Amino acid sequence: MIFGESTLWYLSRATGVVSIVLLTIVVILGVVTAGRRRPDGASATVAMGVHRWLSMGMLVFLITHIITAIVDGFVNISWLAVVVPFISEYEPLLVGFGAIGVDLLVAILVTSFLRHRMAERQWRFVHWATYGMWLVAIIHGFSFGTADQPVLRLVTLGCGVIGGLAASWRVATSFADRNRRTEVASQEWS
Amino acid sequence: MTTIVDLIQSAGLTGRGGAAFSSAIKVKAAWENRARLIVNACDGEIGAAKDAWVVANHLPELLEGVSLVTGGRRKAKTLFATHRGSTTARLLAEAGLPVLETPERYVSSEETSLISLAHGGLARPMTKRAPFVFGGRDSQGKRIRPTVVLNAETLWRISQINRNGVDWFRSFGTADEPGPRLLAIGGHVSRRGVYESEAGTRLTSILAQAGGLPADAEYIGVGGLGGILLTADELRSATWDSPGMKRFGGGMGPGIITVWNPDDCPVEVASKMIAFGAGESAGQCGPCMFGLPALSADWAAFSEQPNRDTHWRLVSRLGQFGGRGACHHPDGVARFAQSALRALGPELAEHAENQCTKAGGRRYAQLG
Amino acid sequence: MPSSADHRRVAVDRILCTGHGVCAQTLPASIALDEWGYPIIVEDHVDADAGALAVKLCPARALFLR
Repeated sequence: MIFGESTLWYLSRATGVVSIVLLTIVVILGVVTAGRRRPDGASATVAMGVHRWLSMGMLVFLITHIITAIVDGFVNISWLAVVVPFISEYEPLLVGFGAIGVDLLVAILVTSFLRHRMAERQWRFVHWATYGMWLVAIIHGFSFGTADQPVLRLVTLGCGVIGGLAASWRVATSFADRNRRTEVASQEWS
Repeated sequence: MTTIVDLIQSAGLTGRGGAAFSSAIKVKAAWENRARLIVNACDGEIGAAKDAWVVANHLPELLEGVSLVTGGRRKAKTLFATHRGSTTARLLAEAGLPVLETPERYVSSEETSLISLAHGGLARPMTKRAPFVFGGRDSQGKRIRPTVVLNAETLWRISQINRNGVDWFRSFGTADEPGPRLLAIGGHVSRRGVYESEAGTRLTSILAQAGGLPADAEYIGVGGLGGILLTADELRSATWDSPGMKRFGGGMGPGIITVWNPDDCPVEVASKMIAFGAGESAGQCGPCMFGLPALSADWAAFSEQPNRDTHWRLVSRLGQFGGRGACHHPDGVARFAQSALRALGPELAEHAENQCTKAGGRRYAQLG
Repeated sequence: MPSSADHRRVAVDRILCTGHGVCAQTLPASIALDEWGYPIIVEDHVDADAGALAVKLCPARALFLR
């Protein structure tokens, strides 16, 4: 069924899963930027550029996802439930995870837009919340990937695994700049 | 009304800590921004001794200078910075002064290191996007209150200018670099110590106060690790002022002359100093934390095997340090290495032929 | 040459710079990289717009104009 009364509902699910995929790519590019250095900056520049522009691209899908889910009316989600977690009549817990994700995303976006007007450590602190945002998005998406749509569920699961691997790599990996900084900073300096 | 800023301005006083920046501009900015004063009495450079000498011998005049600069503000909260555990720290504490104790690290007496330490941070240099006398932020965004750092000798000179007048001050030195200035003379001389000097004097006359340049002296360091190395012949022709030192790639710096012991292999001494400089990087700026160890390795490679290849690597390395740190530590070590390379040319040739038999030099004689 | 409307001077906060190397791509005529990937400013006068974009794209926020 492609056209009909469920079109919006299907559109919502499709844009939801695309959002998850794009978000995962954006997160991985961010992880790569943070955890890897090369003597020439070519790949870093591509990663940085795609990280920033794709995050904007993801927004289009995410906003469509949210609007269609509410407007569709198939299930009862209020506009307020988009930002206030756990107040939705329909699946309060799972929609709530989505709402937490939206709140974190807004904070991450606003701080990144204002990055040059705030302290670097404050931006960094908020940007770390991306990992949490991504995780609740995965939970939200995986739990909603209903049994009749195993492909959607599988895609979300795949995103979760790949993102998890990227995060583990980030913890395990290091590079000369960070190592040397840590090493010297541990000496007596005060 | 003539203010102290006008007096310092007419006297042409410049900072005696090594940077030689106009003291009038600094003090004026400090007044306008109600900046806190930190007195730098660290003697941070290798061979430096004059800050300790000022504290030990002229503390009341130093405090008079502090009072002139802070305008006698009761809430000025001036801090006196010196290395932890030093005699100067003890003297300052005994005088009831608030001591800012900085760790025994080369870059910890740099002015932004002291400002960082005074703000509860680590004693490591900060990036100066603008002078901290205006206040500002460190790289991570932490707020830094307006702070001015003046060298202990500079403050003593301010009190002297106030007492004795501009004409007295200008009766010393040259028109461009007026005033008396202290100089620490150390190493292979008969009377090490801190001496009064003035710009425009021949270095041999300055050394005469410390017993003269010994006949067997071969190499003389001027300005410590951030300074230069001269041969004895160069020193005999050199004049103690900025143009005179610039001839050899240096400046007057914080006033240090060190006559190297002729029994020590000078190539090895230079190696040790460069290696020390590499180890004193605060590990904050890439070109310093990686560049200085690489410079040290390139210097060692060239001194052990001077050939066109190792020479080229060393020279191209030396060209990579221009202003690429938050502070000037990497520039200083590179300047020293550059001048040591020039001054030690004949010694390095000896190393190539394995003829060096001096202390520390044997390692090379046994090679090959 | 002082800063003007269409030209600015580019500088690096060396403490923030961790050697991503992006500035050498965004300002190839002005910035080269050393063997560890840290910038060497070859020419600090840059076009104001190009400089502003490079500042924006620096992942470490170490690049700035003055």
